[in-house]
Amino acid sequence: MDYIVKFAEGFINLFQTGADTFIDWMTTIVPLVLMLLIAMNTIIQLIGEEKINLIAQKSAKNPFLRYLVLPFLGSFMLANPMVHSLGRFMPEKYKPSYFASAAQFAHTSNGIFPHINPAELFIYLGIAQGIQELGLPMTDLAVRYLLVGLVMNFIGGWVTDFTTSYIEKQQNVKLSKEVKVEG
Amino acid sequence: MAEKAKIVKGSGGFGGPLTIGVDGKRDKLMYVTGGHKPAIVDKICDITGATPVNGFETSVPEEEIMAAVIDCGGTLRCGIYPQKGIPTINIMATGKSGPLRQYITEDIYVSNVDVDQVSAAGTESESTSVKETQAEEKQPEQQATYSKDKKIMETRAEQENKSLLTKIGLAAGKVINTFYQASRDAVETMLHTVIPFMGFVALLIGIIQGSGIGDLFANVMSPLAGNIWGLMAIGFICSLPFLSPLLGPGGVIGQVLGTLIGVEIGKGNIPPNLALPALFAINTQNAADFIPVGLGLAEAETKTIEVGVPSVLYSRFLNGVPRVFVAWLASFGLYK
Repeated sequence: MDYIVKFAEGFINLFQTGADTFIDWMTTIVPLVLMLLIAMNTIIQLIGEEKINLIAQKSAKNPFLRYLVLPFLGSFMLANPMVHSLGRFMPEKYKPSYFASAAQFAHTSNGIFPHINPAELFIYLGIAQGIQELGLPMTDLAVRYLLVGLVMNFIGGWVTDFTTSYIEKQQNVKLSKEVKVEG
Repeated sequence: MAEKAKIVKGSGGFGGPLTIGVDGKRDKLMYVTGGHKPAIVDKICDITGATPVNGFETSVPEEEIMAAVIDCGGTLRCGIYPQKGIPTINIMATGKSGPLRQYITEDIYVSNVDVDQVSAAGTESESTSVKETQAEEKQPEQQATYSKDKKIMETRAEQENKSLLTKIGLAAGKVINTFYQASRDAVETMLHTVIPFMGFVALLIGIIQGSGIGDLFANVMSPLAGNIWGLMAIGFICSLPFLSPLLGPGGVIGQVLGTLIGVEIGKGNIPPNLALPALFAINTQNAADFIPVGLGLAEAETKTIEVGVPSVLYSRFLNGVPRVFVAWLASFGLYK
């Protein structure tokens, strides 16, 4: 009989530990992320989508703007997945590179700006909650995540230019380097 | 051959039943499932006579797609095709979720579908054809000062000579409304996207810590995630071009890995400064499953998608390990 009771206690304990974790998050992480989401959503609405489209059109020529400034601003303003729609202002040749960079900005900026990709927040938050457990500030991690992201995502986009050229040769096709925007 | 296929939801699935069939030019069944071809694709094509197309390798004009088969765990793809009005069949049990959840409705989306959920429906039944989107016609000009279908605010906003007070009032109203709408959207996102995932992750943590598995995990994870070489190995595996599209969907694997590492950091088994390279190591497969859809959003040509998919997979592979290494260099001095 004792054995059964012990087993039942252990069984409930599994869920009790989970429940404690959950309610801890509900009182710490949820309100903070919610406030951030509201503030960011408002800012984005007030600035408007047209401005970022304008920036996108002007960014096509220069790799620095194309793979660093535009995907960073775009992911902030349009969030995931609509940041990828800005790729329509790029020449065909650079669309894969823009995608490669923008998709990574949807994560590296997510530590400070969770509105960018709330559905995949736990890539960051899963690790960051360990930091929080230790009583250390999560922001330090989030800031470095963003900064390393800025550099490495740019390199990622730029490297993709070369892999695209390589695949072009392999498949024997040539993608246009001219911007063509319809509508 | 021109039969229609009836697709019902699997247990725990959402939406449906859908009845799809070839309709004029719409004779392609596109599957975007990270490369492999689910069995239901063959079955649906057998019944309807449609042509299967691997959306991961190539793209088809939207007006030729009869339906799309996806394996999305709940982030983006499950909303993108319904948004375009294309009937969508998800082999995962995802319901209304993700940023495009408002487009996921029962008349255009069905989930947790396996071979048993697909059956021939005969030729005569109504088909869930692609919806035509039409811009609404503009209302005729209002003649009266106030009309019954507009609030006073809206009427005032249309007047040409606004007094200063009206202008201030309108501006304040606009700002407050924007905040309120932003808040509604944010709460919706939290309720439907973030909190469900939190519940799942919390349960996972409970099971890991409450049972003996925790120690087992610690023994496996600490040597792997507890030093830079192990992290680079994780990054290397996740970025392998034939593996990364399979690890991508929904970011679920990355999020679970992150949680496991987070638990070990919390227990002190992994030094906290390694959190930074770990963030990069668990995510070298970032969006590898999403390349064709993302390029589709960028209105890329078919040719570009065919080049772009392998190109991005290769660049992810080339970048993966260096990203982890640079992040490790950048982690010096963190939490010291």
